[in-house]
Amino acid sequence: MKDPFLLFWTVLLFASIIWYGFLVIYLGIKAGREIRDLTRTLGIAKAEREARPPEQP
Amino acid sequence: MTLAPLDWIIILIYVVGCLSAGLWMRRYVHNVDEFSVAGRELHVNLGITSLAATELGLVTIMYTAQLGYEKGFAGAAPGVLMCLSMLLIGYTGFVIKPLRDAGVMTIPELFEKRFSKRVRWLAGFFVALGGLLNMGIFLRLGGDFLVYATGMPAHYLEWVMTILLGLVLAYTAFGGMLSVLVTDYIQFLVVGTGMVVTSVIVLHTIGWHPLIAGMRAAWAAGRASGSTPAAHPFNPFHASNYGWGYLAWQLMFQIAVVTTWQTMISRVLSTKDSKVATQMYQRTAFYYVGRFMIPGLWGAAAFVYFQRSGGLPPGLTSITAMPRFLSGILPVGLLGLVIAAMIAAEMSTVSGYMLTWETVIYNDLIMPCLKKPLAPRRQLMLTRLILVAIAVFLLFYGLWYQMPGNAWDYLAVTGNIYLASVFTLLVGGLYWSRANSTGAYAALILGAVGPITFLIVNGIVDPVHQISPAVAGTSSFVLAFLGMIVGSLLTRAPVRP
Repeated sequence: MKDPFLLFWTVLLFASIIWYGFLVIYLGIKAGREIRDLTRTLGIAKAEREARPPEQP
Repeated sequence: MTLAPLDWIIILIYVVGCLSAGLWMRRYVHNVDEFSVAGRELHVNLGITSLAATELGLVTIMYTAQLGYEKGFAGAAPGVLMCLSMLLIGYTGFVIKPLRDAGVMTIPELFEKRFSKRVRWLAGFFVALGGLLNMGIFLRLGGDFLVYATGMPAHYLEWVMTILLGLVLAYTAFGGMLSVLVTDYIQFLVVGTGMVVTSVIVLHTIGWHPLIAGMRAAWAAGRASGSTPAAHPFNPFHASNYGWGYLAWQLMFQIAVVTTWQTMISRVLSTKDSKVATQMYQRTAFYYVGRFMIPGLWGAAAFVYFQRSGGLPPGLTSITAMPRFLSGILPVGLLGLVIAAMIAAEMSTVSGYMLTWETVIYNDLIMPCLKKPLAPRRQLMLTRLILVAIAVFLLFYGLWYQMPGNAWDYLAVTGNIYLASVFTLLVGGLYWSRANSTGAYAALILGAVGPITFLIVNGIVDPVHQISPAVAGTSSFVLAFLGMIVGSLLTRAPVRP
């Protein structure tokens, strides 16, 4: 592989495939937890809003 | 049809699951803040999955595969430039940090604070115009993929486009950004898995050495005969590939994209703070290399595959070669998974983009014209009506419009309608105290001249006399900056409180 451009693209291509595989697993777990926290926060806000008496016009 | 019952079952499970998750988030939406920026509760990892899923649509896969087909591995050069731009902005916080700290919902909103209400409106107009024209070809390219990958009759294209759009509209109109975040997450997982598995199968089917040899042989034969494709498959600086001028414009363009493109900025503005925003950029940067590189591999492999069998079959083009190639090599079950992944890519992008342009139209074009603010319920109703209007526009524009040249050039130039001018306004507004409204007007109008001329002229004249995308794009940046500098210096300096 004497062509430096070919070497460059080869490294990038295989690094990309490995990186995508890693991200699917890593972010799958981390972002999944964040969705759980997000829905929990919004659920609490929703419950508080519903517990408040309606404002008079 | 090339799909087996197992493929259809996989696709159905995915679509129903995604739709249900999106609609489920509706319960948390009570006001426009929650609808448009998810109540600003976005954390870094979910931000990355959402940004990555939105920016990797089926349209992206189609145009990057087309670049791979026409320009070999070197076709992925814009992805490398985008990665470098993301790292630069992520580590310096250039533009995105002060923008997030300003607490605005869209970029034009900042322009009202810095320049005037009219500048905000005009900027909002160009942002919406450029964004909607840009998005106009998403459905057609997505439909093309599905028709060619599944082997459906071509006249099903319109129905495929309409059904896809209807599904996306259903959950976006009800759940807004919250639905988009959750469905983006599912779509990120499905797309990521599909891309890795497909790449392994493509490499296994074609073989690494035959792939390289095939691209080299085509380049040598093209040079000898003077026929296409004659682009150097590995050297992007070569005159037969992108060349220096095009890459210089692309670097400028990509810096403007990552600081200005409203779909990216809407994620920045949804983050908890500017630190999360810069982290999101740093960690997403390399993803953009794969965004061009992996479908580029499929496009290059499709090229070699069809070259071996004597060239493209009738009816196929450089953009539809890749889906037909994949449908020929993927086994039953896996084809269903890959098509589900591509539907995921299409849905996440269309939903993210629709929501973004809706926010701009509502926030920057309609709101400034209202004498008194609407009640929250009416605000939500209006935002949903705008989404429906955008969907109708997309359907008719996608069916009617014929692209001049390749898809990437079309997307880059239509994006340039506002990228150059809004980038100039952002840089001027945030970092140059002398910038004023006159300079802003001049930048907005002059920045749009090049791309709009490109679209009109290239739609009329023959290919020999068409304007090159690099000229149209570069001129818009030069004219926008000149407009801002000359306009501001020739008129009164802004008065600071």
